[in-house]
Amino acid sequence: MTTTAQRPTDEPRIAWYRNVRVLRVIAQVLFVVAVFSLFFWLFNNLVNNLNRLRIGTDFGFLSRPTRFQIPYDDGFDPSSPVWDMVLVGVKNTLLAGFFGILLATVLGVLIGIARLSSNWLVARLAAVYVETLRNIPPLIIIIFFGFAVFTFGPLPVLSEAHQFQIPGTHNNGLILSNTLWAVPSFVAGPSLGLFWLVIALGIAAAVAVFVWRTRLHERTGAPDRRMRWSLGVLGLVTVAAILLIGDAFDASYPALAESGRRIDGGYRLNNGFISVTVALGLYTASHIAEIVRGSILAVPKGQSEAANAIALTGFQRYRYVLLPQAMRIAVPPIISQYLNLVKNTSLGVVVAYAEITALTQTSIGNGRPAPQSILVLMGVYLTFSLTISFVLNIYNRRIQLVER
Amino acid sequence: MTAPTVPRHGIITSPGHWVRKRLFNSGLNTVLTVVLVPLVAYLIWRGVTFVFVTARWEPVRNNLTLFMIGRFPRAEIWRVVAQVVIWSSAIGLAWGAAVAGAKARALRAGLPYKEDSAIAKARRNGAILAALALLLAMAQTWGPLILFGVSFVAALLLQRVAARTPAPQVPYVWAAVAVLAVGGFQIVSGFHGTGWLWIGIPIALAASRLLGRRDWRTHRIRRLASLSAVVGVLGVAYAVYAVVDSPGVGWERWEGLRLNLLAAPIALTLAFPIGMGLALARRSSFPALRMVATGYIELIRGVPLISLLLMGQFFIGFFLNTATPLSSLTRAFIVLTMFASAYIAEIIRGGLQSVPTGQIEAGQSVGLSPWKVTRFIVLPQALRNVIPPMVGQFISLTKDTTLLYIISIAEILYIRNIVHAQAEFRAFGIAETLVFVAFIFWSITFSMSRESQRIERRLGVGVR
Repeated sequence: MTTTAQRPTDEPRIAWYRNVRVLRVIAQVLFVVAVFSLFFWLFNNLVNNLNRLRIGTDFGFLSRPTRFQIPYDDGFDPSSPVWDMVLVGVKNTLLAGFFGILLATVLGVLIGIARLSSNWLVARLAAVYVETLRNIPPLIIIIFFGFAVFTFGPLPVLSEAHQFQIPGTHNNGLILSNTLWAVPSFVAGPSLGLFWLVIALGIAAAVAVFVWRTRLHERTGAPDRRMRWSLGVLGLVTVAAILLIGDAFDASYPALAESGRRIDGGYRLNNGFISVTVALGLYTASHIAEIVRGSILAVPKGQSEAANAIALTGFQRYRYVLLPQAMRIAVPPIISQYLNLVKNTSLGVVVAYAEITALTQTSIGNGRPAPQSILVLMGVYLTFSLTISFVLNIYNRRIQLVER
Repeated sequence: MTAPTVPRHGIITSPGHWVRKRLFNSGLNTVLTVVLVPLVAYLIWRGVTFVFVTARWEPVRNNLTLFMIGRFPRAEIWRVVAQVVIWSSAIGLAWGAAVAGAKARALRAGLPYKEDSAIAKARRNGAILAALALLLAMAQTWGPLILFGVSFVAALLLQRVAARTPAPQVPYVWAAVAVLAVGGFQIVSGFHGTGWLWIGIPIALAASRLLGRRDWRTHRIRRLASLSAVVGVLGVAYAVYAVVDSPGVGWERWEGLRLNLLAAPIALTLAFPIGMGLALARRSSFPALRMVATGYIELIRGVPLISLLLMGQFFIGFFLNTATPLSSLTRAFIVLTMFASAYIAEIIRGGLQSVPTGQIEAGQSVGLSPWKVTRFIVLPQALRNVIPPMVGQFISLTKDTTLLYIISIAEILYIRNIVHAQAEFRAFGIAETLVFVAFIFWSITFSMSRESQRIERRLGVGVR
C-alpha cells in the first residue's frame, strides 16, 4: 500500500514554509523546546546548587527518623520516619478542614437565609456579620483566636485549669485552660462488635422503613414523613442498644496530671486546632452566606410567589421551593470555598497547629532538605484540590444534564 | 423562616408601623426580636466600653509610624511623605478623569448626568474616612495631618485639571498615573537598582493601551503622556543618583502597612500581562501551549499561597545562578506575581468565554487574522467583563499580603510583634494592636468592595 497522499493536480502546491499546518507544528515544537530548555536550565541549576551545598536530590529522608516531638501529640514517636509525620500532618489538616467546613456550612447557610429575613434586626445583624468577617484577613482572625482568646486570653494556664466535674461523680466533664481543652471520650468496651452489629441492623431497618413509607405514599397518597419515621427507628434501635448492651463503650475521663503540664484521658483539643477551626469556620461562613443569599435571590421571583399562593409556611417555602433550586446554583461556588478553607488551614502555622505546613516547616528547620520537603507539601495540597475539583466537575456535569 | 404575609417593600406610615412590620410581623420574628435586642445591646455596650474605657491604646498610639512604614530610616522619612503625596495626586487624577469620562459619555448618550451627593460619597467611603479619623486621632502629631492635608489638596487640584479635559480618556490617564507613580516611586524610595522601573513602565503602558486603544491620539493625552515620560526619566535619573547617595532606603526597607498596600497593586500589575498570556494560551488551538498553561494555572491554584511563599524562601535561590542571592522580599514578590498571574489568567479566561462566538466569526468574515481578531474584537469586550472579578482579586490579594508575616517579612502583623517586644509594652494586652490592624484592613477592603459593586452597576456587567 502506498502511503503518499493523493493530491489533486489542479490545486497549487504550497511551499512548506507557507503551509499553515506545517507552521503550526513547527511553532509548537519550538515552544515545547523552549519550555523544556527553560525547565532543563532551572533543573540543572537546582541540581548543581544542591550538590554544591551537599543537600542531595533524593527523597530518602522520608524514611529516616523525624527526630522531633509533634506538639500535643503524645502518641507520636520521634523515631518514626518522616512519612509518619507527613501522615499526622495530613490527618490534622483534614480534621481542621472537616470541622471548619461543618461550622462554615451550617453558619453560612443560616446567615445567608437570615440576610433575607423580613425581620429588620435579623437581616441587619447578618449583614454586619458578613461585611465584618469577609473583609478581615483570615490570618488575623486565626491570630485573634489563638492569642487574644487563648494564649493571652481570659482562661487560666494549664496547671490551674478550670475543671468541671460531672454532677454526682468525681470525674471531669470538661477541662478548660488557655492551651488545652478536654472532654470525656468513649473508648472501646468488651462488646463493641455486638453494638456495631446492632446499629448496622438498625440502619437496615431504617432503610426498610424509608422504602415502606415511600411506597405507602406512592400507593395511597398519605403523607410519607419518611425521614421522621426512619430516623425514629434508627434512634430507637440506638437507644435500645446503648441500654441493653451496657459495656459496648467505656468512658475515658480527662484528668489533669500531677505535674500540671498534661491532661490524661478524655478527648483533648489544643488551642491551635480550636483557633484554626473556629476562625476559618467563621471566615468562610461569611463567604458561604453571600453565595447562599445570591443563589436564593437568583431563584425566579415567581417561585416564591407561587409558594405563597399555595399557602406554604415560611419554612416550607424555603425547604421545598427555594432551597432546592438555590442549592443547584450555590453548590459549585460553595465547594470551591471548601477548597479555600482546606488550603487556608495552612495558616495554622502561626498558632503552632500541627498541620502539614507547620510540620514541614519544623522539619525543614530540623535539617531536612527544603526543596524535597516543599515538593511533598505541594503534592499533598494538589491531591486535595484535584480531588475536590474532580468531584466538582462530576457534579457540574450531572446538574447540567438535569437542566437541559 | 420569613413570613410571607408582609411584602418586603410595603408602605410604611409611621415609626410604630415600621416596628410592627419589620420586627414583630410574625410569631417567629417576635421571638427573634425579643431575644436579639438585649443581646445586641450587650454586645454594643461591651464594644463601646472596650474601645473607650478598658482598652489601652498606648502600644498603637506610640508606634503609629512603626506600623505605617516599619523601620525606614527616620532621617529619610520625607521620601515616604513625598511618595504618599504623589500616589494621592495620581489617584486624584485618575478619579477626576473617571468622573469627567462618565460625564462625557452621559452627554454623548443624551442622558442627564448627576454627580453623587457629598453625603452619598461620604457614606460610600465611610470606612476609609473612619480609618483616617482614627489614625489622625491616634497620631497626636502634626506630621500625618499635614501629610493628609497636602495630599488631599493635591488630589483635588489634579482632579479639577483632569475633569476639565474635553475628551477625557480614562485608560490613558491611568497610564499617565501609572508612569507618574512608578517615577515617583523611584524618586522617593531610592531603589537599589532601577530594574523594576524598566519593567514597570512598559507593563503599565501596555496594559492600559490594551484597555482601550482607540483614542490614543487625543492631544491632551499625548501631552499628559509626554509629561509623565519626563517625570519618569527624571525618576530614573534620581534613582540612579539615589543608589549612589542614600543607602538603607531601598527595596529592603519596605515595611509596615506601606508594604501591605503596595504589594498587591505591584504584584497585580506585573501579573496582568503574564495572566493574559496564560489565558490566551489556555484557549489556544495549540495543544502544547494549552497544556503548559493549564498545568501552570492548576498547579498554582491548587496549593496554598503559604507553600508557594515557603518555596520562594527555600527554593527559588536554587533555581537561579545569580551571583548575589535575591533578597527575601524580592523572592516574595516573585511568588506573589506567580500566584496572582494564575488567578488573573482564570479571570481573563472567564472574560474571553463571555464574548459571543458570533463576534469572532464576524471578525474572521471581514478577513482579520487570528491575532487581530483577538486583539481588536475579543480582548476589548472581554476586559470590560473582567473588571469586577479583577477588583475582587485585588481585594483578596491585599488580604493575602498578611501572609508575608509567616516568612518573617516585616509587614504590619510582623511590626505588631516588634511592638509587643518593646520593653515598655510587654505587659500590655495584645488584643488592641490586633483590633487596630484588623480595622485598617477592614476599612480598606470594605471600601474597595463597595466601590467595585458601584463599578459593576455602572458598567452594567451581566445586564446588557
